[in-house]
Amino acid sequence: MIPLFEYARTQDLTPTEKEILAYFEARPAAASCMNLQELSKALYTSGATIVRFCQKLGLSGYNDFKYQIRRELKEARQTVFVAEDEIRRSVARFKDNITSLDQQTMERIAGLLTSKRPLYIYGGGLSSLPARYLQVVLNTLDFPSILVEWSRLLPGLVGTVSQDAVLFLLSVHGDTRYLPALQLAKERGLTLILVTANSQSPLLPYCTISVLTNDTEQDYHGIDIASRIGFFTVIQILIELAAGKRGE
Amino acid sequence: MISLQLNDAVIKSLSRHELNILRYVYEHSDAVQSISIQEFSARVSYSSATVLRFCRKLGYSGFAEFKYALRSAQREAGQAAEASGTQAGSPDFRIDLLSSNIQATATLIQEEQLNQTFHFLNGQGPIYIWSPGGITDITAEYLEKLLFSIGRQDVYKIEPARLFEHLIRGMRSDALIVLISASGSFGTTVRLAKLAQMNGIPILSITPYTSNEIADLATVSFRFFTDQRENLGAEYTSRLPIFFIIRTIIQCYLDYKAAADQEGGAHDPSV
Repeated sequence: MIPLFEYARTQDLTPTEKEILAYFEARPAAASCMNLQELSKALYTSGATIVRFCQKLGLSGYNDFKYQIRRELKEARQTVFVAEDEIRRSVARFKDNITSLDQQTMERIAGLLTSKRPLYIYGGGLSSLPARYLQVVLNTLDFPSILVEWSRLLPGLVGTVSQDAVLFLLSVHGDTRYLPALQLAKERGLTLILVTANSQSPLLPYCTISVLTNDTEQDYHGIDIASRIGFFTVIQILIELAAGKRGE
Repeated sequence: MISLQLNDAVIKSLSRHELNILRYVYEHSDAVQSISIQEFSARVSYSSATVLRFCRKLGYSGFAEFKYALRSAQREAGQAAEASGTQAGSPDFRIDLLSSNIQATATLIQEEQLNQTFHFLNGQGPIYIWSPGGITDITAEYLEKLLFSIGRQDVYKIEPARLFEHLIRGMRSDALIVLISASGSFGTTVRLAKLAQMNGIPILSITPYTSNEIADLATVSFRFFTDQRENLGAEYTSRLPIFFIIRTIIQCYLDYKAAADQEGGAHDPSV
């Protein structure tokens, strides 16, 4: 129970105000994210009534009331959604990722991407988006490349491409399903670049160059929603480096 | 480069000239901190009255307070000064710029915008995402896939402009239109925004921080910092800040839902 509600109970409230209080007591975190319009709709009362209720509690208005609840929830160590904290966390993750990248490795990869050797870029699922982003922008920069989005195409491709081909693979989990293709690629002496978030990936020994990002594995009801912001960052840096090479 | 606490309302209130000043400040934050208002107004080629008005709109009493805010923001940002040793145009410089664009973009995301967005995500109305072609398509698809993944139904990514126009004319008023633009001025997207407004359909926009029509017409407007670039007519402006915004919206939504679910709609007053 948070102090503001206890205080509210000691006040002389009208039946409508009691309803407002009950609504907040039942779902403080969710309700404190609503704006006045939504709340008055949900409660079938006017905004003015809600504001009057807040003022009765000695607060200047509804926003003040909202923030007070959130502060007190936080003090009571309940999970509350605080946008600022979450945004700060994502910026911190982004910065960690960018500082952990090795500049020389990135330069080496950019060199391969712009070497005019046959270039195949693969990403499956959500990783197909960073893959596509790299492929489209490289084409814009006049470095042709081929996008592969079907994982089943990989073994056949690896078996037939010319030996100077460069394969650029994006996989958050870096799991064993790519193992057969990568083994074959290594046997054939192809150049393999892997970007993954899994430092224990069984694919690592087969790669010529690998880049590790901090995209944490995350799923929602079994569906993979790992961030990929780390991937997009790596891709963007490679694009910057490749764009720099265009002038050379 | 450092970042100031700016929200969409403040950016909207800035005139084109004032946005130029803001841009100069972002690009030369180190130098700005140590010069007088006369010197500054000479550098940006605006009168000192315009500079003062700009400072007031940002919520500072004058140029001195504005400089002070810049300095304290820089102290907080810490490593911002590291960038000064690198040369403009070099890869190092571009990577620094990329990183500061993301940090500045993050400061533009406000809780109120997120809450408005959650309102649409929680609602039952359909969400139409405009896929304008080119590189921006990938950002539209990223949003679409993430919405699918977190279980939001009724999300439609539409590519043909004429189909989108047709859909807008018959759209329910609880629908949401998502318009993403890397330039903020793409003709077709602007036209769709106008059409949506005429029909009373709310718009969520993700556009650059510069003054643009799409953001002006939007109900919820997310802004980002980026540098426009092209290679002989083919543009390759960085989309990283857009991906970052989309990801942040989704992550915040999941956290918000987790907090709300914990209450589980429990009506026990002793929570």
